[in-house]
Formats: sequence, C-alpha cells, structure tokens
Amino acid sequence: MFLSRALPLATAVVVIVIVWQLVIAIFRPHISLLPPPVIAAQEFWTLLASGELFLHTGTSLARVFSAWTITGAIAIPLGLAMGWSRRVERIVDPFVEIFRPISPLAWIPLAILWFGIGEAGKVFVVCVATLFPTLLSTIAGVKRIDPVLVHAGQVLGCTDQASLFCKVIFPAALPSIVVGLRISFGTGWAAIIAAELVAARSGLGYLIANGMEILRADKVLVGMAMIGILGVFFDAVFRFLHRRFSWGEE
Amino acid sequence: MIGTAKPLSLRGIAKTYQSKTGTPVEALAPIDLEIAAGEFVVIVGPSGCGKSTLLNMLAGFGEPTSGEARVGGEKIQGPDIDRGMVFQSYALFPWLSVLGNVEFGLERKGLAKRERRQIAMESLRMVGLEDFAGRAINELSGGMKQRVAIARAFAPQPSIILMDEPFGALDALTRRFLQRELLRIWQQHKKTAVFVTHSVPEAIMLADRIVVMTARPGRIRKITALDLPHPRESTSERFRDCEQELYAVLDEELAKSFALG
Repeated sequence: MFLSRALPLATAVVVIVIVWQLVIAIFRPHISLLPPPVIAAQEFWTLLASGELFLHTGTSLARVFSAWTITGAIAIPLGLAMGWSRRVERIVDPFVEIFRPISPLAWIPLAILWFGIGEAGKVFVVCVATLFPTLLSTIAGVKRIDPVLVHAGQVLGCTDQASLFCKVIFPAALPSIVVGLRISFGTGWAAIIAAELVAARSGLGYLIANGMEILRADKVLVGMAMIGILGVFFDAVFRFLHRRFSWGEE
Repeated sequence: MIGTAKPLSLRGIAKTYQSKTGTPVEALAPIDLEIAAGEFVVIVGPSGCGKSTLLNMLAGFGEPTSGEARVGGEKIQGPDIDRGMVFQSYALFPWLSVLGNVEFGLERKGLAKRERRQIAMESLRMVGLEDFAGRAINELSGGMKQRVAIARAFAPQPSIILMDEPFGALDALTRRFLQRELLRIWQQHKKTAVFVTHSVPEAIMLADRIVVMTARPGRIRKITALDLPHPRESTSERFRDCEQELYAVLDEELAKSFALG
C-alpha cells in the first residue's frame, strides 16, 4: 500500500533530478538562475539545519490552518443549512454566486490595504480561498443524501429537526464534507504562497520572493520543493481521512 | 404502551399530488380499511397503484389529502418510533456498525447503554446475525443487510411494522428464506404488519389478508382472507388456486393501467 504509492513518487523525483541535471549540462545557466541539484540540496540542508526552513514552513502552515479552521466552522454549518433548507439556500446562494468567481488572489491588494502586511491580511486571503470549496461540498453532501435514510431516521425516533441533523444528516453528509476540506486545504495552501509572495516577512512564499530579490535561485527552489513535499504529505493525510469517513462506499 | 400490537384504522384516506406542470394527480382514491391488532396484511397491486404512497402515509411521511389513519384510536401525525419500517433499499446507516444500526432506535428511546446492547444483541440473534454485530454495513450482502434492517425495525418494539417491498431487491432464494424468517419473527412478536409487494406468491406466503389495489388512482379492488395454515407450501393446491384467482384480478388491473398509458 505504502510502497505502491512511494515507489512511483520516488521514480518521479529521480526523473526530475536527471532532467534538471541535463538542462544544466546543455544550457549551462548562471548559478543564480538555476543552480545544479547538489547546490540546491546543500541549501536545503543549510536552511533545515539553521531552523529557518522550519520557521517559514511553520508560519505558512499556521496561517493556512487557522484560516481553514475558521472557514470550516462557518462553511460546514452554513452548508448544512443551505443543503437542507430551500429557503436558506435561496437567500444565501446569490452571495455565493457573486463572490465565488473572484479569485482569492484578487483580494490580496484589499487585504494589504485593510490589514497591512501582518498576519490578519494573510489569514483573510486564505479564508477567501478555503470558504467556497468547503461550503459547496457540504451543500452537495446534504443534497445527495438518500431521502430513505432520512425516513429511516424518523421512524427510529429522530422526530425533531435537531436530532435528525445530528444523527442522520451530518454523518450522511460527512464523506462529502471531508472531500471539501481536502480541496479547500489545497486552495488555501496555494493562496498563502501567493499572499506571502506579495507582502510578507516570513513564510515559504516570502522565502521564495526573497530568494528572487537577492538572486538566489537555490533558495527559491528550496521553498518550492518544500511546498511540493508538504502537498504530497497532506494529500496522503486527507486520502486517509477520506477512506476513514466514506464508510466503505465508492 | 409500546410492545403490544395495535389496530390500524384507515378512514377515507386519500392522496392527490401536484404534478410538476401543476395538474393534480390522484395517486390514491379514498380508502377505508380496518386492520386488526396483530394481523398481517399484504397490499398488492400494479406499479403506480399508490400502495407505497399509502404505506408512506401510515409511516407519517406526508399528510393525506383527505381522510385519516388511526393507530389504536390515535391519529397518525408524522413519523413515530411506534411505527417501524423496513425499506426496499435497506436504508441502513453506513457510518454505524451492524450493532450501531440496531441500537439506533433504542438509543433514541433513551435506553441505557447496557440495556440497549442486550436488546440489540437479542434482535440480531433473532435474525441469525449475532456474530456480525461489529461488522461494517458495506461488508454485508443484500440479504444480510435486510436482516439487519428487520432487526433494527423490531428492536424498539413498535406496535406496527410497515414493510415497503422489503425483499424486492433480493434474489429468489434469499427472498424465500427471508419470507420464512419474517414469518417466524412476526409469529414471535405478533406485531400488526402492513407489507407492500407486487409479488403474488409472496403475498400468499405471508398474509392473513391480501388487499388487491386497482390501477391509478389506487382503490381497493378486492380483499382476500387466507386461512391457510403456516408454513404454506407454494406447491399446494389451495396456494395455486389462490394464486390464479389473484393473477386474474391483477391482469385485469394491469390491462387497465396500460390502456390509461
């Protein structure tokens, strides 16, 4: 199981390094534009040993986690209500339709104007990026519930809305909610890097932007590699959660 | 108050739907039917005769357009744990184990953990699945799922059991087996049972009385009381006679429903 996933990944990494080395051999770019893999690996090690990489990674992750948690706390209850009640959906849906197509990155300038370059602005941008995937998946999860499950809950004693929600609607929608949380973590992770590229003094996005400014492509590459590594890691975590919460269906 | 079978009384109960185009569709014409406590009534009829509509109203899903149904003198208003139901698609909760499903209604009734475990295990033993208590729902076959659903419906001791083509999705052998299982369980618990099917042999195998419905709008075409002793053999002469009689009526109704389009 683990090997069947790890092996193709390892192969891909080897192929990337080979192609990278070939590009260096053929085009001979200046070291500040594209350093060879060994130099990048050395820089990775230096940043790791100095703790700098942990600091930047931790900062970015903390921003994503806090925003993702905030929007989850809003989007899951709201999505349940919108999926269950036609009336709530009719009221809220127009707002969703208007704001959803606006890329979270388009909010970065306003976020800087409103919140400066501190934490709040970045968390705000990630909130915009994580809200809609969670919300839409939750709504879809409720709408896809087989009505017969609701009926079964009712004849087994869930005769009031509250118990029906807790005992039937929520667990029945949970697989879809987990999918939404997985997608929104991905969009949030992409958005935080963008927000940090523009205005930050810490975080992986800052590491990359700073590397560019001081003509250190190796730092840029280290930042990018870290983003990729964490992406793979969190995808595995969410894959596990999804299996755990899909009750053997699909 | 719970545990004993109760009589079911249908008085002029009818249902008319609004179709999507706005024209009213009469699914069920006013029906009068008295079902005695502990009686096993099977409703048969062609597709779309309103038999499932009728059962859903008895469960409390959706109000009748006119008339009313009473359980032991009390008017049905919304679903209640005193009226259990077994669905064709099992309707088990996949996020709960087999035991969790059977305990669900008991927990809603406010039983303490030990007590509900004991009753749930008893119910599972009744359907022969006590060794599967810890299994996940999606590990079970269709026949096993329906046995869990039967255990789940009987566990809270409702006074009426409603069954909507419960064996419709099962293969012939499993079906035959579960019909006998159901009869055995019903004879043990003596609940009032209303069972909807479109299978004539199934109706004859199970029923005290068979209610034959007409094509849409559904009304009662014929009520047949069966005094055949259990276990009934589908090869016996009386079984065959009964079958032929019912098929003759149903063929007529089917022809009518095809003529209607």
